Amino acid sequence: MMPIREIAGYLPGLRAEEVQWQTLTFGSKDQPLEVAVPVLGDDQAIALIARVKQASRSYLKSLTVAQIVSIVDQAIARLLDSKDPYRQKADTLLPLVTGYDPEMVRLGLTGYLKTFRRPQLQRFVVEDFGNPQLLDEFQPRPKGGFSKAFGVDLAVHVWAGNVPGLSLWSLISGLLVKSGTIGKVASTEPLFAGWFAQLLVELDPLLANCFAVVWWKGGDEAREKHFFQQADLVLAYGGSASLEQVRRQVPITTRFLPYGHKLSLGMISRRALDASKASKTAQQAAYDVMRYDQQGCYSPHVFYVERGGKITPEAFSRYLANELSCFERKFPRRALSLDEAASVADWRQREELESLSRPGPDVVGDGPWTVVYNDTVQELTPSGLNRTIRVMAVDQLGQVIPLIARHRSFLQTVGLAAAPRELFELAELLGRAGVTRISAVGQMTAPEAGWHHDGRPGLLDLTYTVDVEASAEAASETFAPYVD
Amino acid sequence: MTQGAVIDGLLAYMATDHSPEDEFDQQALKLFAYQYQHNHPFQRFCQQRGKTVRTVKSWRDIPAVPINGFKELTLSCIPASDAERVFMTSGTTQGDVKGKHHHPTLSVYDYSMTKNFRQRFMQGRERIRMGVLFPTEALLPNSSLAHYLALAVKEFGAQESHYLLAREGLDIVRLIAELERAERVAEPYALLGASYSFVHLLDELHKLGKSFVLPQGSRVLDTGGFKGLSRELSMEDFYAQLSSVLGIERRQCINMYGMTELSTQFYDSGNAALPAVKTGPHWIRSRVVDPLSGKEVPRGERGILAHCDLANFNSVTTILTEDVGVAVNSGFLLLGRAQGSAAKGCSLAVEEFLQAALG
Repeated sequence: MMPIREIAGYLPGLRAEEVQWQTLTFGSKDQPLEVAVPVLGDDQAIALIARVKQASRSYLKSLTVAQIVSIVDQAIARLLDSKDPYRQKADTLLPLVTGYDPEMVRLGLTGYLKTFRRPQLQRFVVEDFGNPQLLDEFQPRPKGGFSKAFGVDLAVHVWAGNVPGLSLWSLISGLLVKSGTIGKVASTEPLFAGWFAQLLVELDPLLANCFAVVWWKGGDEAREKHFFQQADLVLAYGGSASLEQVRRQVPITTRFLPYGHKLSLGMISRRALDASKASKTAQQAAYDVMRYDQQGCYSPHVFYVERGGKITPEAFSRYLANELSCFERKFPRRALSLDEAASVADWRQREELESLSRPGPDVVGDGPWTVVYNDTVQELTPSGLNRTIRVMAVDQLGQVIPLIARHRSFLQTVGLAAAPRELFELAELLGRAGVTRISAVGQMTAPEAGWHHDGRPGLLDLTYTVDVEASAEAASETFAPYVD
Repeated sequence: MTQGAVIDGLLAYMATDHSPEDEFDQQALKLFAYQYQHNHPFQRFCQQRGKTVRTVKSWRDIPAVPINGFKELTLSCIPASDAERVFMTSGTTQGDVKGKHHHPTLSVYDYSMTKNFRQRFMQGRERIRMGVLFPTEALLPNSSLAHYLALAVKEFGAQESHYLLAREGLDIVRLIAELERAERVAEPYALLGASYSFVHLLDELHKLGKSFVLPQGSRVLDTGGFKGLSRELSMEDFYAQLSSVLGIERRQCINMYGMTELSTQFYDSGNAALPAVKTGPHWIRSRVVDPLSGKEVPRGERGILAHCDLANFNSVTTILTEDVGVAVNSGFLLLGRAQGSAAKGCSLAVEEFLQAALG
């Protein structure tokens, strides 16, 4: 089969033939995909940096937030249109790049894109700034004086991971705060950000130099240094080791925003475990496990299930297994590399071996998914990923808090199925333990617009605020030409 | 069937010179029935996989026990305390838990080793003067490699064979003396030991600026890889340097692939071309499998090696390794260990979590 060829990145001011390209291969034997990623020379990197800085100062900062929201909204509308060539390319190529089931990618992408339409973007801005005009002009403050939020001239974003479209989040955030952005795509999903950049420029050609989408092999310090040293702000996704490696290169005076790998989990109250509700809850839990094969920071590794409901935790684990088996028919797990398969097998084999020493866990599933049921409380450990999930019975959901609090630096989302009163009681405890997001079970992998990723105000973090204090305003009065 | 009868039948089978598939199957199924009956953790393991004496119809059906099983379970048909010898894994990879392999008698292990070693390493020679780059069996009584090398010296070593690892490390003075002697008297010489010790040897000789041209018939046996105990070399560099520093042809540099969890070793026929094909004697067979399904991968594709070693009469015949391999006509290519997969997304993987826990 002839490979499909696609070019990644977006490089204003550079012609394709001036750039050196490296080929990354994806897809399968049946449909190979070759993606050319740019390898920039030193001079090219320096020129690109200067160009983006210049354009962000001269054009991006002249737009109002409302104008930017409008452009992004148009771009998103294009991508939500299944007949649009960009969307068709995404629907065809992203499954090949990531290996995920095409239908899962299509549904996931639509749901994700919907969070960037005009009303959602407006909410997103209000969430962090209260008054969106803070980004446009100095606004009066209740304390007196005026303030304005400025985006930096150049933010460098290092994207990671194969969850399709992850880069969109930070690319749009950069635009909303009028910050020039150079994003480095991940080798595991190098395409989406470049398409989005091209689409924006189609809609507003004057944006052409306001951003760039580049690539280098993570850890290539010779190439990284230009970007990290010239950036006003560096935002990076990745594991502890790669974040550490980036941090070492970022000057101490440059703001560094690391988003590390995270561990998320679910909690099911006994109140969600009556005969009519339990199977629905299990289906939602299975959905969270199935989505992107647990590759997201918000993906669950374990479900803690409370005893005392009509349905026992053990029965719940069987429901969950059944639902995973159904999802496997609808959205099959992507094909794993040998190393990935070995690592899943290793996780499952350890559990199996443990189960031979009584009373051990129950291990269900021998194909593309695994449910391990622990009847006794165990230490928190990550799952084997790729649709491997642990269900652990607890007497009270409160018992979970000390187990997870030890790992607070890794905690992110808790999918919670509980009654209103429990919800807020647990929210307080989970918040203290380090959890930053509580969602419904079934919604773990779809954060709402304007969420606080890892507990941070995402947009605010990309800006700095300039205060004009009341004293300056008062003093200026004395220098007015019309002063009496 | 008693243990005595099992051993007698097995030794008779190993003594033959070839084995058609059906004979291997017969032996494997006999051993499976024996182990299923007497090795209770293994029986539970089989039951969990839905395998019984009734459903296992060929050696390929015997469930392969992951090598971690030797850490978690006591895989033995006799009480562990009755074993003549327990070999333990070096435990470099997983905390302090060591895999244990119980041998009620070493007679089968020793027979397997000597018959195979004679053929694959000695290649028609009765004895050869050996230098061993590994501690003695007395120092490491639970090391299967220490026993293997001691057996090599005892059965095949010329009188003046010797150990070159002292408490302080490599005995470089003796080593140089031996290499010079071999050159002078033109008597073939064999160096055997852990791969990482050969790297230390290369480093030492490099420091002294020494190299040798050992007489025809000299040879090297390395095993086990570098395990982080020496600098890491590519296989190409390793054999190129061994060959040039010692003056031994690369086809006489033989790599042995063995494991504490097995009683039989694999060898290549020298490392002139890489990766070299590994093969074993007729009482061991290998499959290249998908680690998740346990099913054999299509020929020519990479998979995880599973070995069925009939000399493992007391533990389990069939183990699932963590080694990546490809089946080739006569045997398999060994392609290193499965690498813990780097996370593809932003979800935390076990390895990173453990690293953080260890600090």
